[in-house]
Amino acid sequence: MRAFISLLILFLALPLSAAAADLVLIANPKAGIAHLTQDDVTNIYLGRYRRLTSGVTAEPIDLPNESEFKARFYRQLVSKSLPEINAYWSRLIFAGKTQPPQLAGSAEEAVRMVARRPGALAYVERPHADARVVVVFELAN
Amino acid sequence: MKNTASPRRSWWQGIVFRSLAAVGIVTFLLGGLSSVAIRQTVADQMHLQAIERLGELLDTVESTASVACFASDEQLAREVALGLLRNREVQRVVIFVGGKELARAERATAIVSDPAQAPVRRTLNSPFKKDEAVGEIQLDADWDAIFLHVEKNGRLAILLLMAQLVLVIVGTGGMVFMVVVRPIKATSDRLHRLDATSGKQLRTPDGHEHTEIGRLVDDINELTGRLVTTLNQERELRRQQEIDQRKYYDLFDNASSGIFVADATGRLISWNPAFVALTWLPNPDQVTGDTPRQLADARWANVDQVAALLRCSLAKHAPCGDDLLLKGNRGDDRWLHMAITPLGDGSVQGTITDVTTRKREEISARRLAITDSLTGFANREGLLQEFLEFDLATDQRFALVMIDLDGFKKINDSLGFPVGDKLLLEVAVRIRTAGQPSDFLARIGGDEFVMVLEGEEREELVTPRIAALAEHLAEPYGLEHGQTTALSLSASLGVAFCPRDGSDIPQLLRSAELALNSARQTNSHYYQFFDPTLQTAVEHRRRIEDDLRQAVASQDLYLVFQPIVDIHAGRLVGAEALLRWQHAERGFVSPDVFIPLAEQIGLIGEIGLRVLDQACAQVATWRQGGLDIYVSVNVSGRQIPDELTPEMVVATLQRRGVPPLAIAIEITEGVLMDNVAVAQRWIESLRSAGLRIYLDDFGTGYSSLSYLKRFPMDTVKVDKSFIRDMNADNNDRTLVDAIITMARSLGLKVVAEGIEESSQLDLLREMGCGYGQGYLFSRPIPAADFVVTAARINAELAAWHDTAILSR
Repeated sequence: MRAFISLLILFLALPLSAAAADLVLIANPKAGIAHLTQDDVTNIYLGRYRRLTSGVTAEPIDLPNESEFKARFYRQLVSKSLPEINAYWSRLIFAGKTQPPQLAGSAEEAVRMVARRPGALAYVERPHADARVVVVFELAN
Repeated sequence: MKNTASPRRSWWQGIVFRSLAAVGIVTFLLGGLSSVAIRQTVADQMHLQAIERLGELLDTVESTASVACFASDEQLAREVALGLLRNREVQRVVIFVGGKELARAERATAIVSDPAQAPVRRTLNSPFKKDEAVGEIQLDADWDAIFLHVEKNGRLAILLLMAQLVLVIVGTGGMVFMVVVRPIKATSDRLHRLDATSGKQLRTPDGHEHTEIGRLVDDINELTGRLVTTLNQERELRRQQEIDQRKYYDLFDNASSGIFVADATGRLISWNPAFVALTWLPNPDQVTGDTPRQLADARWANVDQVAALLRCSLAKHAPCGDDLLLKGNRGDDRWLHMAITPLGDGSVQGTITDVTTRKREEISARRLAITDSLTGFANREGLLQEFLEFDLATDQRFALVMIDLDGFKKINDSLGFPVGDKLLLEVAVRIRTAGQPSDFLARIGGDEFVMVLEGEEREELVTPRIAALAEHLAEPYGLEHGQTTALSLSASLGVAFCPRDGSDIPQLLRSAELALNSARQTNSHYYQFFDPTLQTAVEHRRRIEDDLRQAVASQDLYLVFQPIVDIHAGRLVGAEALLRWQHAERGFVSPDVFIPLAEQIGLIGEIGLRVLDQACAQVATWRQGGLDIYVSVNVSGRQIPDELTPEMVVATLQRRGVPPLAIAIEITEGVLMDNVAVAQRWIESLRSAGLRIYLDDFGTGYSSLSYLKRFPMDTVKVDKSFIRDMNADNNDRTLVDAIITMARSLGLKVVAEGIEESSQLDLLREMGCGYGQGYLFSRPIPAADFVVTAARINAELAAWHDTAILSR
C-alpha cells in the first residue's frame, strides 16, 4: 500500500516539479550585481572572461555531469549537449590555459558556496534559491 | 618506243619528305602553341587547387581555432597555427582576435615570393553563436613550392605532347610512303618499261583496285588503248592513201584522155602519155636538157584559142572548154576538145580528148542543114547564114536576084515530082552556067531560086545578065520522061540591090519578091527591079487590111438597101442589101476594093455572116411594120460552102424570126465554076430550106446556058452594063431580049439591074422583064429612109403604070 502511494506521489509530483522547477542563476548579494544578461552568463561559464561589471572576479560553479540540472542549464543557455560542452573544455584543458568552472557536489553545496563567496555564481532550481543568494538571471525554457 | 630517261630527282623533292615537312611544321607550330596553353592552364589549375587545398586545411582547424579565439587562449591558438605550418605549402599562419594578433607561426626560411598572391583569410565565429565573429585566421601559401610543382607537371605534359607529335609524324610519313609513294613509284617504273604501242596494259598495284591510284592506272590504260587505236587507224589510212595514189597513177597513165597540169603562162608541169600522143609533142624521154615545154608548142591551128582558154579559166575561176584544131604533119588535122580547170594556186589542170569524129560529123551535118540536097545549092537557111554576119560597114555591095518558075506547080502536079525534080535540076544548071564563080546560089523554096551577084550595084550593068538568064530559062526543056518531052515554062525575076533596097537578107528577099510579083503581074517583062513605089503600094494595102479588120470589129461596115420593083405589077417587092464602109479618114471605100481584100485575108466569112444577120433583122422589122418585102443578100464564092453553110443560114433566119421566102441569096457565075458539085449541093440545100437563089451579074462571065440548066436557080439578074448601053436597036438590046426570053423559057424570073431612065423601063417592060432595080427608082439607101422611099416608089409606079396602060 505504501509503495502504491509512493508511486502515485511520484507520478503526481514529477509533472509538477518539471513544470515548476525553473533554473535560475544565483549570486552572492555582495557581488554587487543585480542582473546578468545571457551573454554575460555564457562568457563567464565558458571561460571567455571572469570579471563581473562590479569588478569582482566571477567564480562560476558547475554541477557534476550526472546532475540533471547541468544538462538543462547548458541546453537552455547555449543549446549544447553535455558531451559538446565537455569536448569544448577538453580542447582548452588539453592545449590551452583557460580553466573550467569549479565543480560543486550538489545543488545544496552550490548554494552554500555562493552564500559563502562573494564572486561565486551557480545555477539552481528556483526553490533552492533562498535568502542567502540573489537571482541574477532566469533561464528560459 | 624508247623510254626517255627521267631526270634524277633529289630525295627532298619526294612526296614523303614534302608531306612530312608539312606535317612537321604544322605539328610543331600547334605543339608550341599547345605547350604555352597547357603551361598556362596547368599553372592556373595548380593555383586554384592550392587555394582549395588551403581552404580545406583551414576547414579542419576552424572549430578549434574558433574555440581558441572565443576563449582568447593564445596557447590553443598557437597549437593550431603550428599544426597548420606542418603543411609544406603553408608559409605563415596568423590568428587574430578583435583585430589583435592572438597567435603567429611562420617558417624560418620563408620568403614572400609574390606579393600579388593574397593570403587566405577565414573569419572565425563563436562556437555558441554562429553569427558572432570572434576572430580571424590568415594563412599565407608557400607559392615557390607550389610553382615548383607546377613547373614539373607542365614539363611532363609538354614532353608527352612532343612524344605524341613525333609518333604522328612518323606514322604519317610511313603511311604516305606505303600507301601513296610506293604504288606510284611502282606504277611509274612499270610505265617506263611498258611499250604502249604494243597494246600491253599497266597492272594495278595490289590493294589499289578502288583507290585513286587504281583509277589513274585505269585512265592510263584507256589512254594507251586509244593511242593504239589511233595508231592503227593512222596506219590503215596511210595504207589506203598509198593504194589510192597507185590507183590514181594507173588512171593517169592509162587514161585515153590527155591530162596535164600547167602554170598560168601555159608552161607544162606534168602530163600523161595520152597527152603526148594526142598533141604530138615530143616525149619526155626524148627531151634533152631543160627544153621548155609549153602548151603553145603543139601545132595548134590557132594558138590564140589556147591562150584565151587559159585566161578564161583563170579569170572566171571556173572550168572553160573549147574545141581546138591541131594541124597534122601530113594534113591529118585533128580536133581536140580542151577543158581547163583552175587549181586555185595559179596553175591549171586540163584534159584533152580527141573529138575529130564528132567535129567532122557536126560540120557535115551543118553543111547538110544549109544545103539543098537536090541542086547542091544553099537552101534558105544557108543563104541566111552566109550573109548573117553581113554588115553595112563592110561596104559590101551586091544584087540579089529572086527567080520564080511560073507554072512549075502545074507540071509537078500533072507529071509527078520526079519530072519536077529533073526540071529543077535543069533549071539549076542553067542558073549556074549563067552565073559567075563569085555568085552565091540558093534554092529557097520549091521553085524559087536566089542568085547573089557580088559587086553588082547598078541596074544598067546587071540588066543584060538578068535578061539573058530570063531568056535562057524560058527556052524549052527536053526531059527524059518515058518519051522525050519538051516542056516550056517561063521564069519571073525580081532584083534588089544591097544596100539600096535592104540592109539584110530577109529585107532584100522581101524587096526582090515584091519586084518579082510586079514582074509577074505586068507580063511585059520577065524581070523587074525593085522600086520603092512597090513598097508603098504594099504598105497601103496592108493599112487598108488593118483598117478593115478594125472596121469589122468596130462595126464601121453597114448595110444599105436598093429597092427592087415588080415592073408589071408596078410596086416595090424587095431590096438588095449592099455593104458599105465609111472609113473614118479615107471616107467611102468601094466594095470593089474591100470585098476582095476581105476574101484574101479571110475576113469574108465573118462579114458575110454579119450581113446576113443584119439583113434578116431589117427585113423582120419591115415585115412587122407591114412592109411585106424580101431582101437579097450577096454571097461571095469564098463563103461557099464552109464559111456560110446552109445550116448557118437557116439558124440565122430562125433566130431573127424571118420566113425563108423573105431572104434571097445572090451568087455569081464564078461561084458555080470553081467546084460544080459542091456548089450544087449547097444551092440545093438552101432551096429545099425554102430560100430563093439569084444568079448575079449574068452576062459578064461565061453566061453558060448549061449552068442555068444544071443549077436550080430562081432568078437571073441581068448585069447593069447591058441595061445601061441598051438602046432601041443595038446588040445589047438583042442580048437582053434573048436572056429574058431564055430565062422565061427555063421558068426563071429576071431582074434588070441599073435602070436609070424611064425609056429603059419601058423597053424592059415591052420585053417582058419581070423586075428591075436602079437609080430610076432609088439609089441604095439606109434602112431608116427605106419606108418613106418605098411609099414614094409605089406612088410613082402607080402613076407610071397608069400612063403605060393608057399608052398601050
